[in-house]
Amino acid sequence: MIRLAKLCFIVAVLMAVTSCSSLRLDGVDFGWPVESVVTVSGTNMIEDIRYSVKAEVAPLAQEEFQDSTALRGARLRLLRSSEGYYFLTGVKFKHVYVFSPGPSSLTLYRAIPVSDGGLRNPALNQRPPYVELLDGDALRTLLTSDDIVEAKK
Amino acid sequence: MNRTLLTALLGASLCATVMAQHSDFAIKSDFEERYRQISGRLDSASTTEEIDSLKGEIGKLESEYAPHQQFLDRALYPLTFGESITKLRSLQVLTYDRVYLIRTQGVKLSEIEARITSLTTRLDSLTSQRDQLFGELQESRKSLSALREAVRRLTANLTAKDRLIFAIVDSIFLPYGKDLSQVADVQKEAIGQRLERSNVLTRVYEIAADNVKFLDATQLQGRDYGNLIEQYEAFNARWAGLKQKMTEVAATGAAVPTESTGKGTAKTPLVRGGAKELRVASETAAAQAGHVDSALAEWHTKLNAGFWGGLLKEFTQAGVIVAPFNDGPSFSASIRQEVASLAASKQDPQPFVDALWKQKIDRDWREGLSRDAMLGHAEYAALDKLVSELTRDTIDTTFIAYIAGILIIIGLIWFFVFRKKKRPGEPASAA
Repeated sequence: MIRLAKLCFIVAVLMAVTSCSSLRLDGVDFGWPVESVVTVSGTNMIEDIRYSVKAEVAPLAQEEFQDSTALRGARLRLLRSSEGYYFLTGVKFKHVYVFSPGPSSLTLYRAIPVSDGGLRNPALNQRPPYVELLDGDALRTLLTSDDIVEAKK
Repeated sequence: MNRTLLTALLGASLCATVMAQHSDFAIKSDFEERYRQISGRLDSASTTEEIDSLKGEIGKLESEYAPHQQFLDRALYPLTFGESITKLRSLQVLTYDRVYLIRTQGVKLSEIEARITSLTTRLDSLTSQRDQLFGELQESRKSLSALREAVRRLTANLTAKDRLIFAIVDSIFLPYGKDLSQVADVQKEAIGQRLERSNVLTRVYEIAADNVKFLDATQLQGRDYGNLIEQYEAFNARWAGLKQKMTEVAATGAAVPTESTGKGTAKTPLVRGGAKELRVASETAAAQAGHVDSALAEWHTKLNAGFWGGLLKEFTQAGVIVAPFNDGPSFSASIRQEVASLAASKQDPQPFVDALWKQKIDRDWREGLSRDAMLGHAEYAALDKLVSELTRDTIDTTFIAYIAGILIIIGLIWFFVFRKKKRPGEPASAA
């Protein structure tokens, strides 16, 4: 009997804990309607005023160009997908970088290779559930946060 | 047939490809750039023909970007595509109105500007004359006739200033009609600038303050108050009208948003033309209007205190002790109480009725008392009747005495005439 009471108590506590931690809002659309074109400052910072995003891109420059100062003055294309990932690329980039947001940070989720010679005139469009990458008239690619879904040249 | 179909399909495919290859960002940026260009051209347009052609440009912009409406509604923050086009069309209409007004009323406006300048100069000369008159008022305290003359001239000066300032105000608002809600923001801005340039609020305040100073510096007589009350009431009514108009004009400045941070925000010339300056100007105007209100309240208080205080003094000087009063209702109650008291007592009402009411109150104070703001015409007439009725018995006795006197005289005449006819020694008849 006592064992049964203990079991009931433990189950009740577990249910309470589970119900507290499982509060979840589904069907959230994080997508921006249009990409932001941001210019890298002298201190390697980018800032989007409309969505209040600010980040340091020196590690990205190091990763893509092996030079932490390579992006100074460059214009980067930043778009948040409907899932909530940040897609980032720019001229001469060979990859589209997909970041997942965390507490005061953006963590690289995927670096999707898109061009061997580097992009010349890239643009990101929101095409739910995908993100479209254009490179002038030369390339049209649909991306997910993991990979390329469809590429047309 | 096949060839035509193939061409059409190829064309559609090409269009779809071109559309698909467009960057959303480029669409948004191109739209914003076109919007800015049209807005800028509207801003600098000086002919109605030019503005008419820009109307076509707006229509073209709308039709070209209509396929992207759904996207632009979300991308153009904070305005939607439809709101942006509506705003551009409103700007086109406003600019058209402004240019049209300048073109058709250019001469009239310049005449009005000249009139305002002339009136302002006259007002300034009256202000310097006023200073001199205040000086004279101080010096002429010893001589009653000189004092009366100084008061008369100073009152005339203040009235003239009052008339001139509102003539300036009328001239400023004249071209825009009576209904300011129909006046475009650009025109309201022009009115605001003219009001500021003519220093209207400061001048209105000066007039109210001068009147307060005048009431402080002068010992007035009952008959002076009629004009002064009329002047105050007219000024108060005109100020209320001006304040209402100024509130509508100031609303143009207040409606300007604090900041325009939205990337896609289309800025009107008004916003670009210094929202901050407009807001500061409208706040300054509101503060100045508050000063005028205070001065008017003080003017009203002093006028009332002087009037009722002077009237009470008349009663005291005549040796009639009545219940104190400081406004119309308390004056009315006081007189009714005095009349009732005199009627009930055996006291002779003659000194009160004749020496005080008829000789002083009715002669010197009636004009002021008859004003609606003081006692009112009807109530004064009622009191006058009430006071007159106090002496009705006396009047009746006098009347009877007159009648009796006349009858005695007639009797005497008849008696002497009759006696002449019956003189002794004359035969009474032919027999």
